[in-house]
Amino acid sequence: MTDRPSTKKGRRPRSRMRRRVTGALALALALGSVGVAYATVAAAATPHSQSAAAAAGAPADDPVEIRKGKQLFEVTCITCHGQNLQGVLNKGPSLIGTGSAAVYFQVSTGRMPVAAQSAQIQEKKPAFNEAETLQIAAYVQSIGGGPEVPTGDLRGTDANLAEGGELFRLNCASCHNFAGRGGALSAGKYAPSLTNASDKVFWTAMLSGPQNMPVFSDNQLTTDQKQAITNYVQTLKTEGDPGGSGIGRLGPVPEGLVIWILGIGAIMLMILWIGAKS
Amino acid sequence: MSGPQHPADGTPGEVDLDEFRGSDVERQTEIATELDGVTILHRRERFPVPGTKAERRAERAVAACFVMAFLGALAFTVFYIVLPWQYDISNKDYVWFTPVMGVTMAISLFGFGVGAVLWAKLLITEEETVQERHSGRSTAANRETTTAILADGIGMTGIARRSLLQRALGLSGLALGALAIVPLGGLIKKPKGELFRTGWSQGVRLMTADRRLIRPGDLEAGSIATVFPATPDGLTTQVVADSVVLLVRLRPGQTVRARAGQADFGWEDYLAYSKICTHAGCPASLYEQQTGRLLCPCHQSQFDLLQDAKPVFGPAARPLPKLAITVDDEGYFVAKKDFDEPIGPSFWERP
Repeated sequence: MTDRPSTKKGRRPRSRMRRRVTGALALALALGSVGVAYATVAAAATPHSQSAAAAAGAPADDPVEIRKGKQLFEVTCITCHGQNLQGVLNKGPSLIGTGSAAVYFQVSTGRMPVAAQSAQIQEKKPAFNEAETLQIAAYVQSIGGGPEVPTGDLRGTDANLAEGGELFRLNCASCHNFAGRGGALSAGKYAPSLTNASDKVFWTAMLSGPQNMPVFSDNQLTTDQKQAITNYVQTLKTEGDPGGSGIGRLGPVPEGLVIWILGIGAIMLMILWIGAKS
Repeated sequence: MSGPQHPADGTPGEVDLDEFRGSDVERQTEIATELDGVTILHRRERFPVPGTKAERRAERAVAACFVMAFLGALAFTVFYIVLPWQYDISNKDYVWFTPVMGVTMAISLFGFGVGAVLWAKLLITEEETVQERHSGRSTAANRETTTAILADGIGMTGIARRSLLQRALGLSGLALGALAIVPLGGLIKKPKGELFRTGWSQGVRLMTADRRLIRPGDLEAGSIATVFPATPDGLTTQVVADSVVLLVRLRPGQTVRARAGQADFGWEDYLAYSKICTHAGCPASLYEQQTGRLLCPCHQSQFDLLQDAKPVFGPAARPLPKLAITVDDEGYFVAKKDFDEPIGPSFWERP
């Protein structure tokens, strides 16, 4: 593009190729800047900060919270779960008796409101912030009762880590993998990874048994045991990998893949280099 | 090619030692290689003029590789002593131990190897050689003389006509063979009833891994619990290995089509099945509470608990054995009897 001949004619008409390239670049730049601008504005327009009420832990039976939750429910959830939480045939189950724990789990992980019915409801960006989630949860709790969102200390002390490990391997690891990375179930369903789940999400999942996960009530796993499991998994996530890299922490399969492709590949290259004519 | 003639059958040629001793080094090499049927086509010094800049640079490159090998090994030793390696919950530095060991050792070995290869590629004289092909068989003379010597040796022992020694030798050989096999006999034990019995029997209560007894209210609808026989040795490996049971509480609306003779094995909406997969004995405990399916993680067998643990997918061919349970007068779950059928994978004597 810099081969302009030093004639006295001044600028040559630009070639078609060059026009195309500059046009494409300009378009990309324009699209990119508009996208960035939109993203910033959109992010600014939907603050995801916790409201003061939620941060202070407003009582779950506060009538004001319930009223707000009812309004949110009637805008967002009523289509599939019905006017009186009775559920709608072929759309959504009844919510009577599911309690606030189930609502908190489904809404705070973005599984609800659901985008499409499929083998398994996917996790996505939550549509509500923490305070709104708790308001909907309070409303559902006020209608049918059920397991509630836990409050207080959800982890206990580090003295329970070993017990937590035992319990995790006995009750959870079969589906969620020994490092909490999730695993496959039948017919397209799967146990999700636990990597970005918060303490509250753990507890509400155990209490409500979302989708195909069995329920683990407080009679079955006591609150101490739930604390231990939560503490164990959250500690496990922050642990380093003694091998330098966890390779997904999925065990021998990806490790073998790395050895076979990278390791053997490197050895093959070295062999080629040794055998090459100098 | 004026060296000793190399016969095509692989036997070494003759060497005129006087000529060999009187030759210069190059000619000696030629004679020696010709003995093995190897001809040097041409040789080329990499640096015909010694001491050029290029030669020194090549030498330095090789030396640098060996120095790198030295430094890597040194670093390995130092870090092996210095770095923390034991698990410590409050300080995660121990995770660097293994990678640092690996990297330093790799640098050392890699440096040594690359140095050796570079030496060969940059400095060692380049040569091209050809070796004559020959058949691998020894000469007819060699083969026949060796056979004769062997036959003579056997004839000297006189084994062909000393039948007493033949028998004695055979007897000792048999005994020696038995010596290797007999100790294995102790490892072969025919199981008597162990494969048909487990730790369950009438009136044995169900308990969890932390020795809590279980009441009907302890499980929510759609939950599972891994339970063991509530006996003093209920958590020992010997008992757990064949008595571990999965207690399931169904969701409302889920009903079980029981197998013949097992209609009263459950209690209300509670069911109890052996957790040991009938295919290869893995713990089948991936329970989907909405579909009522129990999955085994090892080979993807699937059991439909709503059809009384009938295998519906994968290699398992038998339903999971069902434990008959009821509630005793104190309100705890108890087993009514042992399993009706052997648990776990199939075996030869199984009816």
